[in-house]
Amino acid sequence: MGDPQMPDLDRTTMGLLIEESQDVHRDAMVATRTALDELVESRAGTVVDPDEAREVARRRTANRRRITFGGGLLAAAGAAVALDAIASTPAFAASSPDVQTLQTAASIEVLAVGTYKTALTLPFIGGSSANPVVKAFAMTTMQQHQEHQDAFNAAVTRLGGTAQTAADPVLAKVVAAAVPGLTAPGPVVALALELEQGAAETYVADVASLSDSNAKKLTASVMGVEAQHASVLLAVQALLSANAPQLITLSPTNVANLPAAAGSVGFPAAFYPTDMARPATEGAL
Amino acid sequence: MKRRNQNREPMAISEAELTVLTNDLEDLHQDVGMPAMRAALDKWTDEIRTSRRGFLLGAGAVVGGVVLAACSTSSSPATTTAGSGSSGSTSAKLTGDLAVAALATSLENLAVAAYGDVLTAATAGKLGTVPPAVGNFVATVKAQHAQHAAAWNSAITAAGHPAVTGPDQALVPTVDKAFAKVTDVTGAAKLALTLEDIAAATYQSAISAVSAKSSIQVAASIQPVEMQHAAVLLFVLGEYPVPDAFSPVTGARTLADYTG
Repeated sequence: MGDPQMPDLDRTTMGLLIEESQDVHRDAMVATRTALDELVESRAGTVVDPDEAREVARRRTANRRRITFGGGLLAAAGAAVALDAIASTPAFAASSPDVQTLQTAASIEVLAVGTYKTALTLPFIGGSSANPVVKAFAMTTMQQHQEHQDAFNAAVTRLGGTAQTAADPVLAKVVAAAVPGLTAPGPVVALALELEQGAAETYVADVASLSDSNAKKLTASVMGVEAQHASVLLAVQALLSANAPQLITLSPTNVANLPAAAGSVGFPAAFYPTDMARPATEGAL
Repeated sequence: MKRRNQNREPMAISEAELTVLTNDLEDLHQDVGMPAMRAALDKWTDEIRTSRRGFLLGAGAVVGGVVLAACSTSSSPATTTAGSGSSGSTSAKLTGDLAVAALATSLENLAVAAYGDVLTAATAGKLGTVPPAVGNFVATVKAQHAQHAAAWNSAITAAGHPAVTGPDQALVPTVDKAFAKVTDVTGAAKLALTLEDIAAATYQSAISAVSAKSSIQVAASIQPVEMQHAAVLLFVLGEYPVPDAFSPVTGARTLADYTG
């Protein structure tokens, strides 16, 4: 048996749950792939028009404003870094706004995959001393982000753009700076939460601006999933903060042991905020 | 400044501390979540009022403006209109984005009623022992659904229509029948999960169906919250809380389904 501090988890049950989850996921992917296929058909031969170019200019102005007054991670990185990253992007206005938005989404997913991969190398996240549910969550979530990245990049390439395989340049610096401090589950969860919240808010903010209906459908099918990741991390963070890691477990009887506040900590807002959304062009090529 | 993830010292498990944490998050919700949605809603209602004035002046502006064929697989006229009113009256037909708003409101009203029934049953001891976390979940989620309904209704009333105060009538018999079989917390959670899944799928579908950017923003600000409700319910049931990499639209309500 493992660490007595760790929750009593039936690993077989967990494996079955994930397997079932993957079955459901495959069903959901059918709809997403259909949207991607429609995306190609509807945008074949599309060219950037002057209105789109003006929209890019408008977004650049708006993005500078968002950067200046951005959220926690960006504040840590410094607004100047963000401005430099965008200004140094060689083909900033070459792609359509939809392509740029999708490239930024892909860049966020690249970073998320890399962050979870790094976290899983830590003994208390992916090793023998890890909480089994936290480890399973990190592994499954990393895979889900990989699928998001693939889907966003498929949408990009089918719209005539270049797949984005690099991490969001601004957030990557922030994550790199945070890695040395990842010495316990708490900081890892906090970093993951920042990324998930930022991803969800970015997609919520962007979905109304996408002009292509299938790009919109894809983004809409991802934003709630990132919000669910954030929800789980909020609950884990609260239980870790309460020194109750044994309650981080998947069991129908566990709920009886949870404190009342745990019932609502995972959804703090009735309306999803967007103040931590990343600029739509931040990860554009 | 970071608005989340304040560093906290490890502590013995404390209901009071977790309550403080929840209250902090609720404060953040008031500070952060509401203004973003409110701005979108204000813009939408301004557009509605402008369109309405234009229409009344003979300019021919049409509220919403777009037929919602994309929201339904049917092409019948019923897919583009919805009733409004306290009991789902069809005397005043809503069209376009407002029809979607009415459908969304009726779903939210149904959720509020269902969670209210759960609270009533729990109070009466009909669900057995109700864990504190479940009681808190039900009360909080019920309040959030009421806020969602109020948001949609503010757009509907801005257009001069009566607020939609009744539940989705087409779903009421199904929900009532299911609830009659609920005898414990697990059963209640499963029923609630079904409602949350339907709501999330409907909003996701609506994002592609509504026309005004501001109404898309309102739907987009609610869909992830319904997804979060579902995640917590899955956790309560002992199931993996994020089952899909891509959220499905299976079960989404359409205007063709909506009868008031």
